[in-house]
Amino acid sequence: MPSSALHRRRALRAAAGATATVLCATLLAACGSSGDKGATAADANDGKPVSLTFWGWAKGTKDVVAAFNASHPNIQVTFEEIPSGNAGGYAKISNAVKAGNAPDVFNVEYPQLPDFVSQGAVQDISKLVSADLKKKYLSQAVDLTTLGGSTFALPLDAAPQAFYYRKDLFEKAGVAAPKTWDEFRTAAEKLKAADPNTRIATFFPDDPSTVEALSWQNGAHWFATAGDTWKVDLAGAETKKVTDYWQKLISDDLVRSMPSFSQQWTASLQKGETAGYVGAAWGGGVLKGTVPDASGKWAVAPVPTWDGRPASGMLGGSTFAVSKDSKKAKAAVEFATWATTTPEGIQARIATGTSSMFPAAPDLVPVAKAAFKTDFYGGQDIYSVYVDAAQSIKPDWTWGPAISATNGSLKDSFGKLAQGGTVSGAVDTAQQATVAEMKNRGLKVNG
Amino acid sequence: MSTPAPNPAQASRAAARRRGRYGAPALLLAPFMVLFTACTLVPIGYAVHLSLYTEHRSGLGFGGSETVFTGLGNYTRALGDAAFRAGFWNTAQYCLLYIPLMIGLSLLTALLLDSALARAKRFFQLALFLPHAVPGIIAALVWVYLYTPGISPVIDALGGAGAQVDVLGHPLSAVVNIAVWEWTGYNMVIFYAALQAIPREVLEAAVVDGAGPLRTALSVKIPLIRASITMVGLFTVIGSLQLFTEPMILHDVAPGVVSTWTPNMYAYSAAFERNDYGLAAASSVLLALAAAVLSFAVTRASRGRSRKEDAA
Repeated sequence: MPSSALHRRRALRAAAGATATVLCATLLAACGSSGDKGATAADANDGKPVSLTFWGWAKGTKDVVAAFNASHPNIQVTFEEIPSGNAGGYAKISNAVKAGNAPDVFNVEYPQLPDFVSQGAVQDISKLVSADLKKKYLSQAVDLTTLGGSTFALPLDAAPQAFYYRKDLFEKAGVAAPKTWDEFRTAAEKLKAADPNTRIATFFPDDPSTVEALSWQNGAHWFATAGDTWKVDLAGAETKKVTDYWQKLISDDLVRSMPSFSQQWTASLQKGETAGYVGAAWGGGVLKGTVPDASGKWAVAPVPTWDGRPASGMLGGSTFAVSKDSKKAKAAVEFATWATTTPEGIQARIATGTSSMFPAAPDLVPVAKAAFKTDFYGGQDIYSVYVDAAQSIKPDWTWGPAISATNGSLKDSFGKLAQGGTVSGAVDTAQQATVAEMKNRGLKVNG
Repeated sequence: MSTPAPNPAQASRAAARRRGRYGAPALLLAPFMVLFTACTLVPIGYAVHLSLYTEHRSGLGFGGSETVFTGLGNYTRALGDAAFRAGFWNTAQYCLLYIPLMIGLSLLTALLLDSALARAKRFFQLALFLPHAVPGIIAALVWVYLYTPGISPVIDALGGAGAQVDVLGHPLSAVVNIAVWEWTGYNMVIFYAALQAIPREVLEAAVVDGAGPLRTALSVKIPLIRASITMVGLFTVIGSLQLFTEPMILHDVAPGVVSTWTPNMYAYSAAFERNDYGLAAASSVLLALAAAVLSFAVTRASRGRSRKEDAA
């Protein structure tokens, strides 16, 4: 086996080299020789600092790297900004791993981490991560980066859910921020009655992560492990409650259905036709960047729950992973530790004004809070909303190792909602597709 | 001493000349052969090789993966996948709608430009060709903008007039429209050039025989440029099988365009979303085979018809 893998890698490298030289294919050329460049830079320096390559896309990352390089003469990080994960970033990382020129460190979101580990793209860094370091992070975040008992990444941010809404439009319709999902529906009806063009929120057919987070919030467990066997339960009662509820909102034309973060969505926010957004902590910065003109009109509330008691899932959230073939894992973990657990690292990211991420290390929340300017939210203390939400994240959620198949299936089914598909039907289809894909990969599954 | 023995100097010169005769072509062909081997043969061979292997994991899958030989396993998986077959069906529908429409329109505009009555030929030629100068991705992005309700001035104006148009909900017509816009002018230029090459005496003879402009177009001009029409048809069929850019851009905004909408998109999503390079390679090879069979059928059909006509 190793020889065939090696052979394949060599063949891939040869093919990639040939194609890159001949065609100057931008992708391959772009990821071509960043590793070598780092090596020569290191050689030129007398102090012989370790040089790392790092790929990521999260807002403010460039400033984090600059701050790290300025304070760490012994480790120099070369940052390359790549498209966000689902927009091609993950494909780029996977290809680079296959071609043998992966960066030392890269960003992966929690859901995709098991997929990358299962591809053999990520290094087990258990030995480099002390128990003290783990204690600095939210336990839910540590759980998500620990797979099969080993640590595979360091968590950057937790992504507790939150509900963003337009204060003025809600006041005009005479509704308060909904505390429960029943109130959410009533609020949606009142908003629509006050102005027939206004909807309370958007269903994102291109992005299943909201449905996943809402299922998680309701206590579903889509994936679980028992011994060496996976249990896949995408369509359980907890999930069905969520999908049926949203199906009804869509059928009754109480929410919009538009691609996430699309021009269409932005336009409807600008016109006030969409008065709310069911998102996560990081969404606060995104929203601020999306509709800067609406500064002062928006507010944040805890995400509605079923029984009125605080509960949250996690909607995205990123980690730092070390690539399988990197020989600089120690330095890579040092960099990731600095970026995720030091005030300087968090401060550098959030001071750019574009990120409102919630640090996975709770001690740093005050740093994040001090760095984020909240004039967009009329000076509201948005981090206190996030703190409560983070504490209410339901534990024991696990992501599956074939999440790309799960998400792909959900996305394709959600696309058919206008042609008679249903949200519930989509999770049923995704259940089958996920189990089939996991079996196909040779994993042990109980469907 | 009637036949002098071949002088050694002369012989070597002859050999050099002979070598020159083959050497120069070889030298001139070499860059092509190198590029052809590196950019076509090697990747095809590599794709076939990849298509015979699959990644295998065990248990929970966190121990990494190993590459195992599966023979034709990836091919049966691709063919057995309803999404892959649906991609071919989408492409077939696209071809049925797009090819007659586009060829008909380019032929019509070419004939109009070629007719004696046409004014400002240069201007119309340029105006019709211009869309083709826009790269496919840009064209798709522009059309996506025009299709999207809430942003598009066209859709909003229609909506204001009471006509609710949902182009994004009908991916097939949305994609066909972009393709027609892009390619009609390009193929019109080819047809127009072919029409210009028809000997004027033939057309004069038709006029003398009493044929009107319509009759001349249908019975003289079109049959005489059949070779061009066949060529355009062939390229369009192959191009249609490779349909990728436009639906891929639409995929971001029109949820109805699923990630496996065309066979090419299926291969893309297998490779870059699911990391299943074996499946991606197998589906690409199947697509290449389909293109080969189809182009063979098109050339065969058109050659058969022209031969029949020659005989008649």
